[in-house]
Formats: sequence, C-alpha cells, structure tokens
Amino acid sequence: MHIQIDEIAKEFGAATALHPVSLNVPSGALVALLGPSGSGKTTLLRILGGLEEPTSGRVLFDSMDATGMRVQDRRAGFVFQHYALFRHMTVYENIAYGLRARPRATRPSNPEIARRVGKLLDLIQLPDIAKRYPSQLSGGQRQRVALARALAIEPRMLLLDEPFGALDAKVRKELRQGLRDIHDATGLTTIFVTHDQEEAMELADLVVVMSMGRIEQVGKPAEIRARPQTDFVRDFIAA
Amino acid sequence: MTRTGAWSFRSPSPLPGWGLSLGVTVTLLSLVVLLPVGALVVRAAGIGPAELWATIGSERVLAALLLSFRAALIAALFNLVFGLALAWVLVRYEFPGRKLVDAMVDLPFALPTAVAGIALTALYAPNGALGGPIQDLFGVRVAYTEVGIWIALVFVGLPFVVRTVQPVIAEIEQEVEEASATLGASRTTTWRRVILPMLTPALLTGFALSLARAVGEYGSVIFIAGNLPFKTEIAPLLIVIRLEEFDYDGAVAIAVAMLAISFVLLLLINLIQVWSRRHTAGA
Amino acid sequence: MADMTVSTSALGPATRAARYRRCTDEPRWLRWTVTIVVLALLAVLVLIPLGSVFVEALRDGLAMAVESLGDRDAMAAIRLTLIVAAVAVPLNALFGVAAAWALTKFQWRGKAVLLTLIDLPFSVSPVVAGLCIILLFGANSSLGGWLVANGHPIVFAVPGIILATMFITFPFVARELVPLMTEQGKSEEEAALTLGASGWRMFFTVTLPNIKWALLYGVLLCNARAMGEFGAVAVVSGKIRGVTATMPIMIEMLYNEYLSVAAFSMAAVLTLLALVTLTLKTLLEWRYADQLAASGGRH
Repeated sequence: MHIQIDEIAKEFGAATALHPVSLNVPSGALVALLGPSGSGKTTLLRILGGLEEPTSGRVLFDSMDATGMRVQDRRAGFVFQHYALFRHMTVYENIAYGLRARPRATRPSNPEIARRVGKLLDLIQLPDIAKRYPSQLSGGQRQRVALARALAIEPRMLLLDEPFGALDAKVRKELRQGLRDIHDATGLTTIFVTHDQEEAMELADLVVVMSMGRIEQVGKPAEIRARPQTDFVRDFIAA
Repeated sequence: MTRTGAWSFRSPSPLPGWGLSLGVTVTLLSLVVLLPVGALVVRAAGIGPAELWATIGSERVLAALLLSFRAALIAALFNLVFGLALAWVLVRYEFPGRKLVDAMVDLPFALPTAVAGIALTALYAPNGALGGPIQDLFGVRVAYTEVGIWIALVFVGLPFVVRTVQPVIAEIEQEVEEASATLGASRTTTWRRVILPMLTPALLTGFALSLARAVGEYGSVIFIAGNLPFKTEIAPLLIVIRLEEFDYDGAVAIAVAMLAISFVLLLLINLIQVWSRRHTAGA
Repeated sequence: MADMTVSTSALGPATRAARYRRCTDEPRWLRWTVTIVVLALLAVLVLIPLGSVFVEALRDGLAMAVESLGDRDAMAAIRLTLIVAAVAVPLNALFGVAAAWALTKFQWRGKAVLLTLIDLPFSVSPVVAGLCIILLFGANSSLGGWLVANGHPIVFAVPGIILATMFITFPFVARELVPLMTEQGKSEEEAALTLGASGWRMFFTVTLPNIKWALLYGVLLCNARAMGEFGAVAVVSGKIRGVTATMPIMIEMLYNEYLSVAAFSMAAVLTLLALVTLTLKTLLEWRYADQLAASGGRH
C-alpha cells in the first residue's frame, strides 16, 4: 500500500513533537525512520497506526484520506517496542487474537484459525511454541511472536517501533535478516523506527533521518552516506 | 480533522471508554461522597460562623474534641514507635511463626470495629482476664477510663505504620549501612544518621494515616470508653448523642470542627513530609 | 569416632562465625528484647482479644451460641448484612474499575483532584459520614422529604445503610487498581485495538484478565469492611431490630442488653469472616504478588 504523509504535525500540550512533516512511502518499500530519542519518529509511526491523533495534517493510504480512521479499521500490523504480548494468553491465543476479534461474518472457523496460526509459526520459524506463555519466551522469540500476531490480521502495512531495541547484538543480527525475509515474502509496505544508523542503513530501502520533530533527509542508504544534506545527518551517521 | 488548541482538557487517545468511565466515576462519587459532604458544608454555612463557634466553644463539646485529639495523638505516637519496631522485626529478624505474625498485623483492618470494641472491653474490664491483673499489679483501671480509649485507638491504628514502613525497610540496601560502618559509625549512629532519615517520610505517612483513623474512630471506642461527659466522651459519640436529641445544628458544628482540625493536622503533616523529602532527596 | 573428630573440628570456625556480629545487625540482646516486647504487645493487643471473642461466645457451650444465632432478629441481621454487602461491594468494584480506567489510561487535567476526592472518605469519621447522609437524604431535607413522601425513604431504611457502607468503603478497589494499572501501561490495550478488537472485547479479553487478582484483592478488603461497618451505619440505620439492624448493630444492641453470649456469638461469625478474609488475602499476596500493585501501605 502506498502511504502519503501530508503536513502532519503533533503537539503534546505546549511541547511540539512533530513540526509539519510530509513523506511519501511507495507501495512495498521497507523504510527506516532513523533518529535520536525525542526526534518524533515514534510519534509519526503511532500516528500512522492510529494510536495518536495528529494536531493537523492528513494521512493518505492508497490516496484515500485515512486521518480520522479508527485504529481497528486501519489493519496496520503494529509491533510495539516491548512487544505488548498479552501476558495471560499463550502464543497461540496471542496470534489468533486478531482473527477471533473479527465480526462473526468474516471470522474464520476454528480449524481455519488453527491452520493460519500454524502457518505463521512456521513463517517465524518457531513451530513448537504455540502452548507457551510470553514469560516463557526469550526476547528474540517474543519479537517474532509479536510479528506473527501483527501479520495474522492480514495487514495492509507493517509498522514496527524499535523492533530490535530490546535485544542483544547477536539476536539482533539474526532477526534483521528475518524481517527482511518476511518483508520480501509478503511484499508489505513496512516502516520501522530505529535509533541505530547501522541497522537502518543495512536493512532499509529508504531511510528517513529525523531530528527535533523534523525530517532532515530522505534517501537510499548509499545516498545518505555519500551526500548528507545537513550537519545533523553528517554527525549522526558518522556516530 | 479536529484541531486541538494549546489548552485541551484531555490529550486525544485511541483507547475507548473515556466518557463512560469518567461518567460512572463522577456519578457514583457525587452520589455517595460529594453530595452528602456538600450537604454538611451547606448546612454549616446556613448555621453561620457565630452560632457554630458558640456550639463548639461549649464546655462539653470542647472536652470531647480535646479528648478525641489527645487520645488519637497518644495512640498514633505509640503506634509510630511500636509500628517501626514491629516492621523492623518482621523484615530483619528471623523467628518461628514470622509469616503468621505478619499476616496477623492486618487483623485490625479486617476485624469489624464493634467486634474489636466488645472484645477489648471484655478483656480489659475490671473483672476481665487482663483488666483485673493490671489493676492489681499497677493500680491502673483500663476499661471505662481514657486508658481504655488509648488501647482501642492503638488497636485500630496499628497496621498503618507497619504497612507503610515495612516495604521501605525491605528496600534499604544493606550496603548503605555497611558503608556507614566502614566509615567508623557505631550501630547507634548508623540508626540515627542513616536509617531513620531514610524511613522518615514513610513513618510520617503511617503516623498521619493512623492519626486520621483514630480521630474519627467510633465503634471500637464507645464500648470501652465509659462515655462519661467531660471525661471519656469522644467527639463522634457526642455527634451521635446530638442526633438522637434531633439537635442537627449541634451535630453539624462538632462534625465541622472535627473535619477542620483533621484537615489542618493532615496539612501540617504533609508540609513536614515535603520538608523532610527535600532534606533527604539526595540520599 | 572418626566422624566425631571431623565434625568437632568443623564446628570450630562455625561457632566463631556465629559469634561474630555483622555490622548491619543490632546486638543479640537487643534483637531478642525488641522481638519479645513487640510480640508480647501484639499478643495483648490483637491475639488475645481475638481469642476472647470465641471464649466469650462459647462460655455456655456451642449449642447456646448456635441457638442465639438462630434467633429471628439475629437471622434478619445476618440477612441484611449480606444484602448490603451484595449491593455495595459490586457497585464499589464498578466504581473502582471505572475510576482506575479513567485515571490510568488517559492524560487529562484534574486527575490529581479526582484522586484526592476518592481518598476523601479515609479522612472523614464514619459518624460524620453518616451525618452527611442524614443531612442530604433525611426527612428534614428537601430531597429526603420528597423521597419519603413518594414512599422511598433513604435514612432509617436499607438504602441509607447501603449508601453509608459505600461511603466508607469507597476508595478500596480504586486504590488497589490505580497503581497496578499505572504500572502495566496501555500498550497491551493498544495492541488489541490494532488487531481489530472492539472496545469491550479489548476490556474483557485483555484488561480484565490482567487486573483480576488485584480486583479480587480489593473486593475482598471492601467486603470485609462493608460487612463490619458500624459507625456510619449506626447513625443512618435507626437501629430498628429485625429491619435495619445489621450484624454489627445487632452486636451493640445485644451487648448493651447484657446478652453477652448472643453478642459474642454474632461477633464470632464476623471474626471468622475476618480470618477467612485475611487468609485469602495472604494467599493472594504469596501466589500473585507480581499481579498485585507493587505499592506499600495496602489495607
């Protein structure tokens, strides 16, 4: 799906989290929102997911205005920073949650739900953990379950908030490739937030560098490396 | 797209149920608490300050108010020391049955006040299992005197100090105490200069809660107090007596005095707390 | 014999270690003195009074105690207490959940004010609470007069007792839930919404399971206090035997009539309830400590 961000701004009381920003995300792209904490990248992601209401501006999904659309109707596969797995449900119940939440008319039958959950568990390469609870999983497993749960609703896009932030370096490398593979397999427009420039450069097709609520530069990783447009970008990618 | 200005009552949120939950909250709060308390305030305003003052200033009312606050203060001070010792023993010392004792501390919260009242009275009455020996040994009458009121108020206020101080003691890093010892401080100095200052805010909170509870306490006191006007008649009992005489204005005046004094006390304690936090903030 | 030698020599350093006092310990004599004094006080103030309730109730034997509870007015008091708790506790649970939801999941002005108002009943004497309800709903007030004229008396009737009980127990559930739900944050709820769940579905499948033990904990404490409330109920009930006398009120009336066995038998029932409450509370604290709020000073 093609996502357009049109002059989106966000204020929290007196504080400005986002100055009006605009951005075009072509269908099927894998985009990194890169910046230090407080740069507004998470706010922008949450606005796309419908978890924050912008103070002004519009969001367009495939040229349709989606600014006021309810969270539930967006079908944005959202992966939370600390995964927000339902702690009292098994992995199976977590992944099935979105399918079971559908209105009766479009809700898949129980065998169909089981089949889809099984397929997703295969996709994240954890076929044997269906009966476990989130507290019994490693950090990397939790992240993949959160991804599977988001994919279960057949989302129109994938939004990931610091998906590798809580993981150690080795697992991080593995899961990076995992996300790339899932993106390539599903073809979903994918936007992830990160403060790690190496991660953004290695994984994304398109990198959006943000600072202080503004977009500093948008470009392919190689372009940004070769021609940083502002001092901030030069310093940040050198760090 | 709604445009929110610089001032907004609530930050927008995708979570549902804001209106419903606040509606239920405010409706029940108003019906159960705010409107009745408001009725008291309105009634007091209708009586007028001069009349209120005259009622509160009468000898019997003054004696009752003084007794209520004096006894509550004594009980709260006792609980401050006793509660600290009990909390310390429960956290730091090992002895058989510790968990049982820990659970027992909450009994005054769970036991109905009227039950506590008649049980303490039966026990501390001159012919009771403890009242008799105490009178023989120390020559002190407990039940039907102010001492009985103290006992009842210590009982109801007991868990407050223990339960506010206990988690703070559990969180003290023993390294801090060790550091104090390596710097040459005796155990007494460590207590005075290191441990007590860390516990002060929690101690004050527990003291305030215990005091607030004791000032208004009725059920556990009236059985053991003897209820002699000018001597062992507590302020809440005098309110009940005024109500039974259909002297509503008299009851309202005492109630307003009790509320006012409680609020002043709580305000004072809050100020002390703010002050002591500021002075221990670096720790 | 060889074993003996080994164990004796092993005892040497161990005994020395035991005599060595760590710098974070009080002297041994002080430890024992404080422990014994504190436990003795606790026994005299709490444990012995608790036991005396049962001793007094059983003074004339179990049969007499049970018989006194079978009295018509005693049964009416037990029934009334159960009815009052059955109405007041669920309403306070509803209030607690609603207040905690509004206070912990949203950012808005006036939160601090609401929190203070919820705690207000803690600093009001039960007798004053009863007085407030009489002033608002009593036959002398305009609202109360109108209600009485229409056949719905509040004061000296069951609704007044329920209101007084709710006033006293009002903060119990909310105070358990607010710290826990603050700690849990709102990302699980947000996740449920992004997965397409409706508001109610999110509440019943995500929020409620996450707070159920803390809710039970609050309800337990609320119930114990509701069944035992005396001061506020004494003021609004009118103490009509068999009609508006709850169990605690009945205890007072029996005690004042020198019917000691009957009074203590009724008290023993409430004491058993208190003990069951404490046991369940302690079990909850051991079993589900992580799912209760991590805050101190609970009651």
